[in-house]
Amino acid sequence: MESLNETLWDVVISGTGLKHSLLALALSRSNKKILHVDQNEYYGDAEAAFSLQEVDEWVERVNAVSPSNFRNASLWKTTTSNESDKLSFSRAYTLTLSPQIIYTRSKLLSQLVSSKVYRQLEFQAVGNWWILGEHSLNRLPNGREDIFRDKSIDNRAKRGLMKFLKFVVDYENQNELWQPQADSGLAGFLSSHFQLPPNLQNVICALTLSLDAPESTKVSWSLPRIARHLTSIGVFGPGFGAVVPKWGGGAEISQVACRAGAVGGGIYVLGIGVKESNTSSEEAGNITHVHLSNEDVVKTRHLIQYPAARSTDAKAVSKVIAIVSSSLTTLFKNSVEGSPLAAVSVIVLPVSTVIVEEASQATPIYIMAHSNETGECPAGQCVLYATMLYSEHSKQLLDAALDVFLARVEDTPELLYKLYYEQEPEEENEAQTESLDPSLDLAFNDAILEDVESLWKTVIGDEAEQARFMRFEDREGMSADDDELDEGY
Amino acid sequence: MASDESISTLKILMIGPSGAGKSALLIRYCDDQFDSESSTATIGVDFKMKKLSVHGKAYRLNLLDTAGQERFRTLSNSYYRGAHGVVLVYDISNRDSFLAMERWFEEVESNAQPGAVTYLVGAKMDKTAQRTVKVEEGMKMAEERGCVGFCEVSSKTRENVRKPFVEIVDAVVQKPELLSSGTRRMGTVPVDGGEGFGSGCSC
Repeated sequence: MESLNETLWDVVISGTGLKHSLLALALSRSNKKILHVDQNEYYGDAEAAFSLQEVDEWVERVNAVSPSNFRNASLWKTTTSNESDKLSFSRAYTLTLSPQIIYTRSKLLSQLVSSKVYRQLEFQAVGNWWILGEHSLNRLPNGREDIFRDKSIDNRAKRGLMKFLKFVVDYENQNELWQPQADSGLAGFLSSHFQLPPNLQNVICALTLSLDAPESTKVSWSLPRIARHLTSIGVFGPGFGAVVPKWGGGAEISQVACRAGAVGGGIYVLGIGVKESNTSSEEAGNITHVHLSNEDVVKTRHLIQYPAARSTDAKAVSKVIAIVSSSLTTLFKNSVEGSPLAAVSVIVLPVSTVIVEEASQATPIYIMAHSNETGECPAGQCVLYATMLYSEHSKQLLDAALDVFLARVEDTPELLYKLYYEQEPEEENEAQTESLDPSLDLAFNDAILEDVESLWKTVIGDEAEQARFMRFEDREGMSADDDELDEGY
Repeated sequence: MASDESISTLKILMIGPSGAGKSALLIRYCDDQFDSESSTATIGVDFKMKKLSVHGKAYRLNLLDTAGQERFRTLSNSYYRGAHGVVLVYDISNRDSFLAMERWFEEVESNAQPGAVTYLVGAKMDKTAQRTVKVEEGMKMAEERGCVGFCEVSSKTRENVRKPFVEIVDAVVQKPELLSSGTRRMGTVPVDGGEGFGSGCSC
């Protein structure tokens, strides 16, 4: 292996998760000497994507030493012989730890465009949203006309709903209406101010992707998220308000961002982590000596790594990744004329939709269904990503949720494969103990970009005044000038 | 530019060990430049575009370089996405680089889309005095690995620099199923032209 310790690095970045990969992208035109390492043999860290064989290895690692924020991983595969035949070869699957949806108004998209790496990504629409009701699967109304036509909503509730939708997209100018209730639960606010019945409270709360029950989801946290949902629809075309990158969501973004880092001269080494570091004052300024897991010691001006300490009592989530033997076509069907074929659909199971012997479902469950168009599974199958807050019985509740959902969709699909795991928040988050850590958010959280920008400023220091964050020209190669034709044959 | 829109784009990757001469070949072919002093790893080359016609039909080649990620074997899966062809390059004056090709072929097999074609290139054929890999050995490996072609090139003397690209494109375009896989599907959302849709809130 080539030697890394002869260089004085400007920055050593440890970890190729989404945040640190975006930092590498942000620094890719800075002419800084960058060493980017990851203790894993793959890109993406907590946002990685895996083949089935890689999942096996990951489960083993999580349950062995588990230095990461994952725990209690377990795997189930169908044993029914004709069903197991349907499970394809390992690399036919790309199961992602980061299926977050990205709202069309997220700054992430504009930064991927202005930094030009969007050309290496393919975005697909998050189409229909569904609520799993007592007897059926109901599509969420997609705008006013849908609500008027909806016979399941009585007129009084319709008026309340219209009033709320009009209010929420303008909530910033109507502080007097909600500020006094800012810390109250969303359910009570919707009931007292807009006379919405519980079923519509659930619908509205679903749009926030809150992992808490509507009663304990704060008004001040909800309103911006509902407004974001509504104002995102139509930005990139009719009928959808969010997108997901093909081939594994956040995992794909981090790989493309790391390549941009490499094109800019950054050195990439996988399978090497940071053991320890110490900083000393030297002639060249403050220099950090970084001890790598391959026994190399490298010198750098900056070391960027994940915080070591994690709070143990913070909110964790339970997740299931399931492969099913159906393309679930109706879920992805266009509901609005001219909208692109959706590759992702969101299914919400409000509180108390499923019951298991030991416990009732106290918080909502979300299922993100990914069609084979995402490149994550073969044709004729789908990948379901289910999430809920961790509790003593969340594993059984998620299992029950998948069963109930699959019983409500066409051609009674079978479960072929199921990965269960729990994920803890990435960092201690004192400021927002009441809300969710950005790393566990089901929609990409722009707070991550603020972190990236402040890390970027730390590394480039005074030059930050002149440099522009994430705004780059196209690399050479895109230009069409000396583009004469090579007459081959 | 209107006519350019109808030209299909082929994605061709360059891979192989560090220092084999991938970038030199790419730059000689695309820009007809060669810098004998430059032996450092490639910086700043993301990809090169080149128009090429075979049998009277024009194609736009999108030629991707490894960006140094081959040095510690850290090319990502995403590098291989949608590639129609892969050019594997070794150095005829460096036997280790030739022996390393087995692992590079394995990496292509596990990452490239089914049906993607491979082409083996022995670079630096002008270095006759330092040659440690025979032409026959390269030819044999290409055959065993099911490559669509093999040749030796010299980016320094220009010898054969067009041959790998012309021949790999000729092989790709004979596989219509491979060509159609590269076209963007109807589900793809263009995220760079957003505000054109205007309306924003639909309710």
